[in-house]
Amino acid sequence: MRRHPSFRARKAVPGQELSPQIEARIQQLWSRFPEGRAAQALCLPVLYLAQEQFGYVDAEVVDLVAGRLGLTAAHVTGVATFYFMINKVRPGRYHLQICTNIGCQLVGAYEVFERCKQRLGVQNKGTSADGNVTLTEVECLAACGFGPVAQIAEREKPEIPLYFENLDATRIDAILDALAEGRVPTELGN
Amino acid sequence: MGLFDVKIISEHFGVHDARTLDYFERKGGYRSARKACQMAPEAIAAEVTASNLRGRGGAGFPTALKWSFVPKDAQTVYLVVNADESEPGTFKDRNILYWNPHMLIEGMIIAAVALEVRSAFIYIRGEMARENKVLQAAIDEAYAKGYLGERMFGSGVSLDITVYRGLGAYICGEETALLSSLEGGRGWPRLKPPFPAVKGLWGQPTIVNNVETIANLPWIVEHGGKAFADLGTGRSGGLRLVSVCGHVNKPGVYELPLTVTGRQLIDEVCGGIKGGRKVKGVIPGGVSMPVLTPDELDVPFEFDALQKDERIREVEVRPGQKFDLGGNRTLRTMAGSGGVVVMDETTDMTQAAWRIVHFFAEESCGQCTPCREGTGWLAQVAHRIAFDHGRTGDVDLLASIADGIAGNTICALGDAAAWPTLAFLTKYRDEFEAKVRHAHRPKGAA
Repeated sequence: MRRHPSFRARKAVPGQELSPQIEARIQQLWSRFPEGRAAQALCLPVLYLAQEQFGYVDAEVVDLVAGRLGLTAAHVTGVATFYFMINKVRPGRYHLQICTNIGCQLVGAYEVFERCKQRLGVQNKGTSADGNVTLTEVECLAACGFGPVAQIAEREKPEIPLYFENLDATRIDAILDALAEGRVPTELGN
Repeated sequence: MGLFDVKIISEHFGVHDARTLDYFERKGGYRSARKACQMAPEAIAAEVTASNLRGRGGAGFPTALKWSFVPKDAQTVYLVVNADESEPGTFKDRNILYWNPHMLIEGMIIAAVALEVRSAFIYIRGEMARENKVLQAAIDEAYAKGYLGERMFGSGVSLDITVYRGLGAYICGEETALLSSLEGGRGWPRLKPPFPAVKGLWGQPTIVNNVETIANLPWIVEHGGKAFADLGTGRSGGLRLVSVCGHVNKPGVYELPLTVTGRQLIDEVCGGIKGGRKVKGVIPGGVSMPVLTPDELDVPFEFDALQKDERIREVEVRPGQKFDLGGNRTLRTMAGSGGVVVMDETTDMTQAAWRIVHFFAEESCGQCTPCREGTGWLAQVAHRIAFDHGRTGDVDLLASIADGIAGNTICALGDAAAWPTLAFLTKYRDEFEAKVRHAHRPKGAA
C-alpha cells in the first residue's frame, strides 16, 4: 500500500450528499450483519458506492460516509487509504490499469506499459494533460494465462470494468485510440 | 476414458448457459444440497473426513480437520468463502465464479448444514466486477427458487448468503485479514491462535474456506467421501484445478489428477514451451512458493510430494546453510494455490525475482516491522541487482534480509516474500552474482 499518494483534503463542494441508491443499499444490507456491527461492516460497501457517485474519495466524501454510518472520520479515512481501489484523487474519465505482475511481465507487460506512458505522456498514476486517461500499474488481476492484461474503468459507469487480455503493441494502440475518441473499446474486452 | 478426462468442477467451463440455475439443475445440480438438508451435520462431516479434501487456497490444510475445531457448544457459527483470489499466477477461482456460481452456492449450502451456519458470506475480489455480477445473479436465482433463505428445499434449515466485495488488497486473501476487512476495517491480519474456527468474525467461530474447496463438496456428497479420496493420492483427495501461465503454448486452467508431474503438465497438458525453447524455472503454486529448476520437475504437483520429495533441493540461506522453517524442518517447495508460472531459458531470473518481491513490498499491510521495512528493502536491492546497479555483497544482503523477515511476522506474507527470494538465490545464484559483477558502477564505487 506504500505508494498511495498522501491523503489530501479537498475544497468542499456545497450541497453534496450520498445518493438514494446508496441509502437503498444500506437498507438492503443492514440486516445481514449482527446487531451493533452493521454500521462498521458497511464501511467498505458504502465507500465503494460513494466512489462510483463522486469518482474518488476525499476528506469530504469521508465525512459524508462517516456521518451516515455513525463512524469516526478517522476510521473511514483509515479504511479509504488502506485499499488500492479507492481513488484518493480524481482520476481521468478513463482509468487504464495495466498488470505488470509476473505472469504478465513474462509475456511483455512492461513493453505495453511503457507504450502507454509514452503515448499518454504520463508516469505511473499520472493523468493525461487533457484529463481523459489515468494510467496505473496494478498487481495481479487473476487472468495470468492471458497476459498482458488491462482493466479499464470509466467514471460514473460502474458496469464498465472489463478485462482486456493478450495485449501487444497493436491491441494497446487500438485501446488508446478508442479512449482518445471517448469510448471504451468493449469489442476488444471480455 | 483416460484419467485426464475425469472432471469434478470444470466440466462446464466455457459453456455459455452454465451459470444459469436451469442448466445447472439439468446437469444434476442441487441434488446434493437437497440431500444434505436432510442429513445430520455429523454425517456430512464424516464424508468430508473420508474424502481427504484439503484446502485449495494455498495451505492444503485438511478441510474436515479445520471444521472440527469449531466448539461443539457454539451458538453462532459463520461460513466465509474466500474468493479474494490474488496470488500472482493463480486464476482458477475466477473461472468457478464465472462459469459455475451455482456449484459454489450448492457447496456452501452443504457446508452450512454441516457446520450449522445460518449466515454465510462470500468475500470476492473487488477487481472481479464481472464475476460479482454473475455470482449475485445466481444467488438471486437460488433465493427465488427457495434454495436459499428460510426453510431451504422445504427442510427445516435456513441460510443467507451475502456477497461482500473487497477493494483491492492482496492481504485480504489471508483469512484473518479477510475477517478484519469483512468487519469493515483495514485488512490487518490477526495473531493465531485463537484460530478463526474458535474466534473469528465478530468474535464468533468462523470457517473460512476457498472457493474451489467448497465447490468440491456437491460431488463428495453425491459420490461419497471414499470415491473422492480414491481419485487422489496418499493423504490428498480429489483432483485439482491448476492454472498455468508464462511461456507455455497452451496456458489456462486445467483440472488434473494430483499425480501429474511438472514435466507432464508442461509437455502433455500445456503443449510444451513456446517456440520449442527449454524450460528454466517453474513456480508450482503461486509466487509465494519456492521455484523449481528443470531437473526437479519429475515430482508430482501434490501437497506432500512437493514438500518432502528429496529430488527437490532444500532452500538455503547461503551456500551450505539450509533455511530453517522452524522445528528443524527444511523448505523444499509447496503446492500452494495451484498457480503455475513457467519461465523459459530466455527469462532473466533476477528480474523475475525482483518483480515478485516488488509485489510483496506493494502489498505488505504495514503492521509488522520486519515485513513492512524488509519487503521494501528486498525490492530495492533486488531492483538494483536486476537492472545492473548491484553492489558487491548485494546477493548476501538480499538473503540476509529475507532470512530476517521469515518467521517474524503475524501472518504468512512475510514468509511469502522471503521464501521465493531465498529459493531464487539458492537455485540461480550464479546469475545474480554475474549481474552484480557486470553492473554499471560510477567511478570509484565499490
